[in-house]
Amino acid sequence: MIKVNNLVKKFDKKTVLDDLSFEVADGETLAVVGFSGSGKSTVLKIICNLLTQDSGTVYTSEGDVAMVFQYSALFDSLNVFDNIAFALTERPDIKKKYSKSELCEIVSQKLKLVGLSGIEDKYPSELSGGMQKRVSFARAIVTEPKTILYDEPTAGLDPISSTLIEDYIVRLKEETHASSIVVTHQMSTITRTADRVLMIYKGKKVFEGTPEEMLNYGNEYTKQFVTASLHGPMQMLAE
Amino acid sequence: MIDIRKTFKTTATYYLIRLFRSQVQDFFTNLGEVSIMSVLTIINLFKGKIKWKEVIYQCYRFGVTSLPITLSIVGMTSVIVATQVASEMVKQGGENFVGMMITMLIIREAGIIMSGFAIISMIGSSLASEVATMRVTEQIDAISVLKVDPIRYLFVPRVLSGMLMMPLIWVLSSLIGVLAGSFASNLASGLSYRAYFDSVWYGIRIYDINVNLLKAVVYGFTIALICCTFGYNAKGGAKGVGIATTKAVVWSFVALVILDMIFAVSFFF
Ligand SMILES: Nc1ncnc2c1ncn2[C@@H]1O[C@H](COP(=O)(O)OP(=O)(O)OP(=O)(O)O)[C@@H](O)[C@H]1O
Ligand SMILES: [Mg+2]
Repeated sequence: MIKVNNLVKKFDKKTVLDDLSFEVADGETLAVVGFSGSGKSTVLKIICNLLTQDSGTVYTSEGDVAMVFQYSALFDSLNVFDNIAFALTERPDIKKKYSKSELCEIVSQKLKLVGLSGIEDKYPSELSGGMQKRVSFARAIVTEPKTILYDEPTAGLDPISSTLIEDYIVRLKEETHASSIVVTHQMSTITRTADRVLMIYKGKKVFEGTPEEMLNYGNEYTKQFVTASLHGPMQMLAE
Repeated sequence: MIDIRKTFKTTATYYLIRLFRSQVQDFFTNLGEVSIMSVLTIINLFKGKIKWKEVIYQCYRFGVTSLPITLSIVGMTSVIVATQVASEMVKQGGENFVGMMITMLIIREAGIIMSGFAIISMIGSSLASEVATMRVTEQIDAISVLKVDPIRYLFVPRVLSGMLMMPLIWVLSSLIGVLAGSFASNLASGLSYRAYFDSVWYGIRIYDINVNLLKAVVYGFTIALICCTFGYNAKGGAKGVGIATTKAVVWSFVALVILDMIFAVSFFF
């Protein structure tokens, strides 16, 4: 369960989030769409406590909050194995001591889930952007979180890897009953993973509804987004 | 009519006042950040488990990879002083004091301060740019989201390695400094090694050694802490990493000189 009420966030004097409210139920996936710079990453960062809001409240149900970063954010001094096992070995509140073989098993299982295996010894700089993205996905879900935030999980992936990740987002939701938010620009990701869609423009909610409603031209904003038109209520260059 | 206020805003004076004000603000912000981080790091040094494997790796980086540079800088400082002073002292009949004088200089001051400067330029800059890169590529955010404390994970091993290795660096570089002084005095003024080393013992005092071991621990802490802090607070992309690194190096240099002054006044006055 994620509850966001009247969220306001300003950077210096610029209002990035303007009175934003929404809810994500247990086991539900919300897709968040909007222009570049509309404040999508900022919402996710507030939910996982990396930024603090100027006003408004955020509630998440108990358990871990995981985040898949837009640009992967893998630890480049650690290899893939240590990246994925990071939370299990470094977190002070995880008291269980995992043996090397247990760790190996967990890591290779998570890697298999994202369609990679046998790359445990490689360093992030030796991987392609898409592979890095998938490794960061595996790293985020290693502690089986109850709230999962994906910042453009399929951006920069080929269609087949995208499908793999999308399927996995759905499977993970069904298995763990986690609440997830998927920030994405990709239509396939919206239609395949999301139960509902939220559209943000200039930090304000301009649409909320199901993917079908969005595709069937929910309102002027979604119409412009779906048809990728330059003409409509949203102006790219207007600041 | 001329609007005086508007006109003033276009003048160099106005510009300079604003520049000065922002510099002063910057200075106090940075000072605050460094103070907060030092408190947090000290708290974390005492509570919680320390990852010795990481500490050992950082010690290797801090103390071993830097040795060639620190040793040669302190050695050469000693050579410079010895060549200039030894011949003069020998001429004045002070050949029995050359070893003592150089030893005192190296142990009390030159060894630690020159090593400190070498460490800042080599290790400090690399610590700052490493942590800053982790900041701007969101790796530090990723650490926090995975519920690991970045202070504990990044600062503690680096700062601890500085505190452990700086005394060692000081001991080794002082030894090299004293040895280099003997060669230089011998070459420059024909002073015998015997005469040099006989007087070295008069230059070694337990009190000086204790004070300088303490200094080394404090300097190691300060350099690692300042450099990690500026890296940690870096903003923006590649440019931000550059700014953070420059600031870290400048602040470490100034902090070292100020600390050295404080130590000199409080222990040798
Ligand atoms: N740390 C920051 N300091 C100042 N401004 C920021 C900061 N982070 C984000 N912003 C500004 O906030 C706005 C929203 O940024 P955000 O990253 O949330 O956009 P986004 O919707 O995720 O865009 P994209 O689709 O390109 O990832 C942008 O205009 C950006 O310039
Ligand atoms: Mg974003």
